Amino acid sequence: MTREISVELQNVSKYYGTEKVVDEVSFSVEKGEIFVLIGPSGCGKTTTLKMINQLIPHTSGNILVNGVDVTKLDAVELRRSIGYVIQYIGLLPHLTIQENIAFVLKLTKKSKKEQNERALELVETVGLQANYLKRYPRELSGGQQQRVGVARALAANPDILLMDEPFGAVDPLTREQLQNELLRLQESIRKTIVFVTHDMQEAFKVGSRIGILRQGKLVCLGTPMEIVRSEDEFVKNFIGQGALFEVLDTIPVLRAIEKDIPIVSEKGKVDLSDEKLKGWENIFVTNDHGQCLGYISLDSLNQDGTFSAGQIEPLPAGCSPEVSVKQAVEEMLWKGKTWLPVISEDEGFKGIVLFSSCADLLAEDRR
Amino acid sequence: MEGVIGFFQYFWDIREMVAVLTVRHAWMALAGVVLGTLTAVPMGILISRKPKVGVYVIDFAGMLYTIPSLALLGFLLPFLGLGWLPTITALVIYSWLPVLRNTVTGILGVDPAAKEAAKGMGATPYQLLMNVELPLALPVIMAAIRTVAVLTVGITVMGALVGARGLGELIFQGISMMDNRTILAGTIPVSIMALSFDQLLGLLERKLKVVTSSA
Ligand SMILES: Nc1ncnc2c1ncn2[C@@H]1O[C@H](COP(=O)(O)OP(=O)(O)OP(=O)(O)O)[C@@H](O)[C@H]1O
Ligand SMILES: [Mg+2]
Repeated sequence: MTREISVELQNVSKYYGTEKVVDEVSFSVEKGEIFVLIGPSGCGKTTTLKMINQLIPHTSGNILVNGVDVTKLDAVELRRSIGYVIQYIGLLPHLTIQENIAFVLKLTKKSKKEQNERALELVETVGLQANYLKRYPRELSGGQQQRVGVARALAANPDILLMDEPFGAVDPLTREQLQNELLRLQESIRKTIVFVTHDMQEAFKVGSRIGILRQGKLVCLGTPMEIVRSEDEFVKNFIGQGALFEVLDTIPVLRAIEKDIPIVSEKGKVDLSDEKLKGWENIFVTNDHGQCLGYISLDSLNQDGTFSAGQIEPLPAGCSPEVSVKQAVEEMLWKGKTWLPVISEDEGFKGIVLFSSCADLLAEDRR
Repeated sequence: MEGVIGFFQYFWDIREMVAVLTVRHAWMALAGVVLGTLTAVPMGILISRKPKVGVYVIDFAGMLYTIPSLALLGFLLPFLGLGWLPTITALVIYSWLPVLRNTVTGILGVDPAAKEAAKGMGATPYQLLMNVELPLALPVIMAAIRTVAVLTVGITVMGALVGARGLGELIFQGISMMDNRTILAGTIPVSIMALSFDQLLGLLERKLKVVTSSA
């Protein structure tokens, strides 16, 4: 299967006078992915983004949107077909939220009715109440304004979204909430998103792939996991410590699961000479339906390996196999456990995940 | 007290003349403001696109602004003759500097983020002007137009010297006869007119705001 490419940059450079602010940058963004551009302030992120919708013309190289060279397209049409969330939100202060959201529909002369309906739909999509529609931007908090900025970019239902630090102006809590909402929204709308940020945690969290810019050069490009493994000193420093944890968010918990755990049927007895028991304190009791009834400490077993239902301790609340390693670790830290059972939606017992193996996973991937 | 009643009596006696002159005065002033705005705002828009060249245009308008009104009317006389034409022309010239300058300041002062957002969403230059730049610059432009309106009503008085029959006629007549009642009969309507122009434009501004924000 060949992946469809929505946006492609081929050796793109941008000069301001003799200063080269974007230097031979090449990358391609696949349809439906969130491609993150990250780097320190002034490295050319915004410039790169704006060249895609030709708010800034590039000096050399090619930029293709859906396979077509952007210089061959009418700039106005190009911009109308691409959603754009600008760095400083940029809501129009003299227009209501409704008019702000529907602005691009007004530009394309859609009916008033259609504008209003779309605004209503979108204000809810981004998690605001309909009564905000009649308000003016100054009457909204920073976080609410950023939501409106996102809603506005979605108005014409573009396939491609350019987002320039869309969650820059909010507190960390709201920021995380907005990130989660973006990811949830992305599940249903599947846009191709080029996302600019200077926050590595954010990059790891939302990005399917990440490009790191430094002084206009793309110094590293890859999945979060590949980025973490980078040997480049600049990249290592730039990633920092805190973001490592975010990488665990990109690994499904199933990769950290213990496969060879000691198990006994509720009707059977434990073979105490079994090699498998080595290093374990507990043994897990399952029934015929693949469910886990609980666990028994090996010490509390009868001499012959038999046990009674009363000796079984109930499992702690588990996590679903769909969660990430990060989520599982958070769960353990929260509950003060060193392990968690992994239980599917139909109550099937998938195994357990150990805190130590999660830590190993990171170490192994750092290697 | 006697004087006040006497003045009202006198005013009542010449009411018809005052009415005719007031209407003429108002029309000339209005024409000056409207024509001045219609020329200066588009010019201001052009200048805001090329601020480097624009500085010279504004300097030129500033130079014109400093010519005393009597002198300007005198300059215009040989070309435009007597009456309303040189008067209105002078009014237009005086309105240029404030309106021009505020149009440029207003447009250049529009939040770049707002402009860029609109452009990024695919606004054409014209749409950008009509939907973003002018509405956001409106308060600044209107402030100039209101100043100009008040100024214009006053300058129209000078028009009487070149035979533009406005309220200035009463005032100059009063001065030459050293008759305060006549001066007042001309001055009071001028003041009221200036204030009402200002207020009416304030109303218009609010109307425009509503229109631009819902159009
Ligand atoms: N119009 C311009 N003229 C000259 N230089 C410019 C212009 N716009 C941007 N630059 C320079 O280009 C470089 C890249 O700017 P850009 O806005 O792309 O940075 P950025 O990565 O988005 O930074 P930030 O994280 O602060 O938003 C900067 O060094 C900036 O000074
Ligand atoms: Mg930027």
